Amino acid sequence: MSASQVGPSREFLGFLRPDETVGIRNYVLVIPGGFISAKICECVNGVETIVTPNTGAGMTSRDRATVARTLTGLARNPNVAGVIVHNAGPSAGYPELNPLSLAEEAAKSGKPVEFLDVVKAGGQLEAIAQGVKMARRLVYEASKARREPFGLGKLTVGVKCGASDPTSGIAGNPAVGYLFDRIVEAGGVAMFGETTEIIGAEHILARRAATPAVAEAILEAARRTEERALATGEDIRTVNPVPANIAAGISTLEEKSLGAIHKAGHAVIQGCLQYAERPAGKGLYFVDNWMHPSSIFPGYAAAGAQLTMFQLGGGGTPARDILDPSPAVVAPLLWLSANPATRERCGFSLDYYSGTVIEGKETPEEAGERLISLVLETASGTWTRGETLRYSDPLEVYTLDPVF
Amino acid sequence: MERRALILDPADNVASVIDRVEAGDTVIARLGNETKAVVALEDIPFGFKIALANLEAGEAVIKYGEVIGKASRPIARGALVHVHNVEGNRGRGDLQKRAEE
Repeated sequence: MSASQVGPSREFLGFLRPDETVGIRNYVLVIPGGFISAKICECVNGVETIVTPNTGAGMTSRDRATVARTLTGLARNPNVAGVIVHNAGPSAGYPELNPLSLAEEAAKSGKPVEFLDVVKAGGQLEAIAQGVKMARRLVYEASKARREPFGLGKLTVGVKCGASDPTSGIAGNPAVGYLFDRIVEAGGVAMFGETTEIIGAEHILARRAATPAVAEAILEAARRTEERALATGEDIRTVNPVPANIAAGISTLEEKSLGAIHKAGHAVIQGCLQYAERPAGKGLYFVDNWMHPSSIFPGYAAAGAQLTMFQLGGGGTPARDILDPSPAVVAPLLWLSANPATRERCGFSLDYYSGTVIEGKETPEEAGERLISLVLETASGTWTRGETLRYSDPLEVYTLDPVF
Repeated sequence: MERRALILDPADNVASVIDRVEAGDTVIARLGNETKAVVALEDIPFGFKIALANLEAGEAVIKYGEVIGKASRPIARGALVHVHNVEGNRGRGDLQKRAEE
């Protein structure tokens, strides 16, 4: 059976939102983070918020814009059914982070957005009481939503590879690439990034760009990142590949990059996005971002990803057996690996294994189809292994300028 | 013993071993239906690279059909190829700093 014949039956059950996007989870989100938001989350089931030191304070205008884009992007994410915006954030005075503007931007999704005015409420404790009431009503209304069938093309996903080892480039990333190709064919959106980790492979990606302008943007992103690396006076190999990569057999940044780009599949690259930037169309996108999980995954979620994936090598990280839950606030995270030692060590924590391809037990297509099935099941409501744990790393917005 | 390795592109001069290799093992490196046999000169851990050809210092190391770096010293066919005998060409702030001093 060819991939295109299987296509039409590739469906998942999701929540239709007013802007025609489809949620795979059904949260209420309070933004920005802080005391009020944390207390509302403690009291009300189904509410999420953001924990981050990057509030925008002391940042340049373009970095503040990125913080704002991250907040409103998470609010607009299809997995969010309703939003509360409060005005007690420390950066509320900056124009980019004006709470009313944030609420307006979030409301573009057409979903309910409530404004919690702390001054009008008479103080923060009073605002918490009011916010709890708002949140209870929002989650109750959200619970009335019913899942309906949608095709693979309604998914937006983002991936990073990490603790990469030689299994990553041979069988781990290619499985993701297969998934990406099928999502793009179905009319969905697939995002990959990690600009440092395209250095040495950027010419291959540039050849796959939809237009010369997109090709130039990819090359420019790699150039800018390499210039920053050169300015440090250090061999990048002492920073990235990280020690875990080297311990597992990756020798240079170029080798890491050439393996890493396999997760991008074979589709045409439609654009080069900034951190937390929403893609203008459908298809495959490169994101000029930074590899750290606490940064990259919330960035994908803010760009609209309902689901994120960490393609783990893990050959060089023997101390890690519990794999962290998603730092993407509203988008779950699947952990994938093709390394047999990682699989054995991580056990239940690992969502998917494609080392079978190296072992000759499965073809790349079979492993890829198995990943698609997992993605559809997860999109339909089955939890990721990480969703069983009550923990999340703080979110780190990827900013570019010094702070003052 | 006979051990396995994967060649990822016809232009490659290294292969990734997919068994734990010991010195003296014959490594059968496969690319599609074609194979190359090479005797391991030393132990090579799972996933690490074995040289398929003799490389001179400065010669490009090729994997995925692309340059992944250059030999920092001569590498013999059958040797382990890693950070001790390969250096990267990109992001070399150290070389730039040295050139500026």
